[in-house]
Amino acid sequence: MTALLATDNLGMRFGGVRAVDGVSLAVAEGELRCLIGPNGAGKSTFFKCLTGQYKPTSGRILWRGRDVTGYDSFAVARLGVGIKTQIPSLFDGLDVMESVVLAVRRLHSEADSRRRALTALERLGIAALARREVGLLGHGQRQLVELAMVVAPEPDLIILDEPTAGMSAEETSRTAALIRELNRRHAIVVVEHDMQFIRAIARTVTVFHQGRVLIEDSVERVLADPRVRDVYLGKPVTRAERAAS
Amino acid sequence: MTDRRLWTEIAAAVVLAALCAWGLPLALQLYALINATIYVSMAVLALSLALVWGFGGILCFGQAAFFGLGGYAYAVAALNFTGTSWAVPVALLVPAALAAILGYLMFFGRISDVYIGVITLTVTLILFNFANSTAGDEWHIGAAPLGGFNGIPSTPPLNMPGDPGTPLAPQQIFVVAVACLALCYVICKLVLHSKFGRVVVAVKENETRAELLGYDARLYKLGIFTLGGAMGGLAGLLFANCVFVSPTMFSLFYSGQIIIWVMVGGLGTLIGPIVGAIVLQILTTWAGTLRDINPSLILGVILMAAVLVIPRGILPTATTALARLRRHGAVR
Amino acid sequence: MDLAFAVFLQVVTGVATLLIISLGLAVIFGMMRVINLAHGEFLMLGAYSAIVSARAGLNIWVAMLIVAPIVVGVIGAVVERLVIRRLYGRMLDTMLATWGLSLALIGAVTMIFGNSVSGFSAPLGSISIGGFRSSSYALFLIGAAVVLLVGTWAVLRLTPAGLIARATMQNPEMAAALGVSPGRVYAITFAAGAALSGLAGALIAPFSGVVPTMGTVYIARAFITVVTGGAAMLAGTLSASALLGSVSTLGTFFTTPVLGEVIMLGIAIVLLRLLPRGITGRFFRRSL
Repeated sequence: MTALLATDNLGMRFGGVRAVDGVSLAVAEGELRCLIGPNGAGKSTFFKCLTGQYKPTSGRILWRGRDVTGYDSFAVARLGVGIKTQIPSLFDGLDVMESVVLAVRRLHSEADSRRRALTALERLGIAALARREVGLLGHGQRQLVELAMVVAPEPDLIILDEPTAGMSAEETSRTAALIRELNRRHAIVVVEHDMQFIRAIARTVTVFHQGRVLIEDSVERVLADPRVRDVYLGKPVTRAERAAS
Repeated sequence: MTDRRLWTEIAAAVVLAALCAWGLPLALQLYALINATIYVSMAVLALSLALVWGFGGILCFGQAAFFGLGGYAYAVAALNFTGTSWAVPVALLVPAALAAILGYLMFFGRISDVYIGVITLTVTLILFNFANSTAGDEWHIGAAPLGGFNGIPSTPPLNMPGDPGTPLAPQQIFVVAVACLALCYVICKLVLHSKFGRVVVAVKENETRAELLGYDARLYKLGIFTLGGAMGGLAGLLFANCVFVSPTMFSLFYSGQIIIWVMVGGLGTLIGPIVGAIVLQILTTWAGTLRDINPSLILGVILMAAVLVIPRGILPTATTALARLRRHGAVR
Repeated sequence: MDLAFAVFLQVVTGVATLLIISLGLAVIFGMMRVINLAHGEFLMLGAYSAIVSARAGLNIWVAMLIVAPIVVGVIGAVVERLVIRRLYGRMLDTMLATWGLSLALIGAVTMIFGNSVSGFSAPLGSISIGGFRSSSYALFLIGAAVVLLVGTWAVLRLTPAGLIARATMQNPEMAAALGVSPGRVYAITFAAGAALSGLAGALIAPFSGVVPTMGTVYIARAFITVVTGGAAMLAGTLSASALLGSVSTLGTFFTTPVLGEVIMLGIAIVLLRLLPRGITGRFFRRSL
């Protein structure tokens, strides 16, 4: 069966630096995938290649088997991909309701858009914020507003870059629950750091290291793998090595 | 904005315009009325920049290019065809076409904001230099001499629709100008209320996010920029009817004035720049009568002061101050 | 053959002129990211300073090479203190304020000197190359351009002041942590850029009509050159002047002056489309 989203030896070079170096992975319809790895492993760069914010320097991106490499952001979004960036990217001068309405307005009438927007807001528990100006909201609230904008158009795939950054524990567990619920109808790819969050939601985890995929397996096996620990903590010094110095 | 508020504002604007159109010709002398017509046509120009810059987020320093092109296109068409019925659409389409081409090159080239300002300014300067160099008999389009730095002599004024033999009187031209201003205001309001307009504002707020929602920002910017160009051309047409067409329409002075009106009036509003344009022009005319002080100097100082002291413009600052006073009163 | 050489000389003169008028702007934009729309008026003030002091009896070379840069440098320092300093980081507001300054300066000079064209003839007379007469002043300009470019490079690269300036430009907080006052560096840089512009204005005065609005003719060209040049201040201005100056001169030579300018703008837009960060966004990236 053709994967929903797949990359084929994807590469992104900046001058001499290979931020992403031959990454091939496939996300199936309805799957929930987590991308983890230490800082500088290339997760965020990979994310930006998927969203059209970077144009990959080598390799391909395939959507349902179709080559969509190098598509502009708006073209990627139109394929049915909802995108949530690491730093909330919002319409600060507009109010929350208007922002979410605009997210669906491209596909639906005004009345329909308002209904869907309200549903999305209620789903995320922020219906009370509808009339508030986005620029005045707190960081966690902004994350939720962005999630509402992403979720409202009912995309086939949602990709999120560190969705719980800056959130309180309560907001984080609410987001975890939401993502599990969303996964019932949408495929999801999450780039994350928060291990509790990953354990709460993940099935399959792909570990990035130096621009490449180190391991791709179920969450229990990945978190038990010593290579993953090395990559996160740096290689441990053995007793023998310490005695020698 | 709710539908009700939208239509209330539109109705208010139409009523106000009707009152001015009816009342001012009765109250003012001919000379003052012609001046008023000039102020109104400049208000249309200010409105065009208010739309493109305040709501579209496009830093266009060369709105005067569309203004001048509208004037020249009108004059050339009016001199070549009998009657002015064709001259009106030509005066709108020529600047709109330039806006479309320039906009395509800039927005689809993903050129950044600051450079857009420089490029639009340069285009205006080039047009200025070009218009100035067209003295001499060999420079003409059909029956219309371009006239170099003197401009086009004897531009025919608008005539009654369908009746080329009857040119409009200055009082009637004033009414036409006010009607155009009202029409442009209404068009702006409707556009900003529509899906297209709301996406344009969203693109201004955060272009990346708008694109991540599936909107091609380049198209929306191109659209609003072209509309602004057409509106600038309309202002040029009106100006051609109450003054005359000359290269000064492309001058740096005019380009600067438009920006000043919008900034002082309030970037991000529609009424502010209209008021700003009218008030500042009354001020400039008065300054021009001063024997000793150069109007450029006054205008320049006003612009610097406006940026340093009230960067958001008079209308927003005044509205915020009023709101603060009201809150104070309510608490008391 | 002689014609070819004469045309070549004209092109080089065009490039040199473009370089001279753009250098001051490049320094200010490149070092401080300030878009100074009154740049043309700094040129104009330089030209007027040279004329006024020459008419007052000063040797013309002193008037052009010493008085003009000093006068405009001082004016630049004052402007920086009163206006620019309050608007750091606000690029749009700086553009608007300097535009206001430009209008005000044009108005003030018109009030003082009136609208008529002043001028002085090019010193140095003419020389012949084969069958064609060429102005020796053109050669002087080319020499001046080289001297200014090399001089600016030398100051920035080889002097401690230049090092401090470059460091502050790259990382003001770090420079401040090392005891440098960024505010003072910016003030001096702005004044230096203004002085360069004043000098440029004096240098071009002999062949440009000196009117209060003369700056408006040059500002567009200077800006296009700086913007097309890109982030590296000197390499960018040099490469952009070379490219755009040649195109513009040749265009003017084969067609009309206005068309020459149109072609130059066209090439610049195409270049920006291909290299959105200017020439030195892609090539010569790490040069000064």
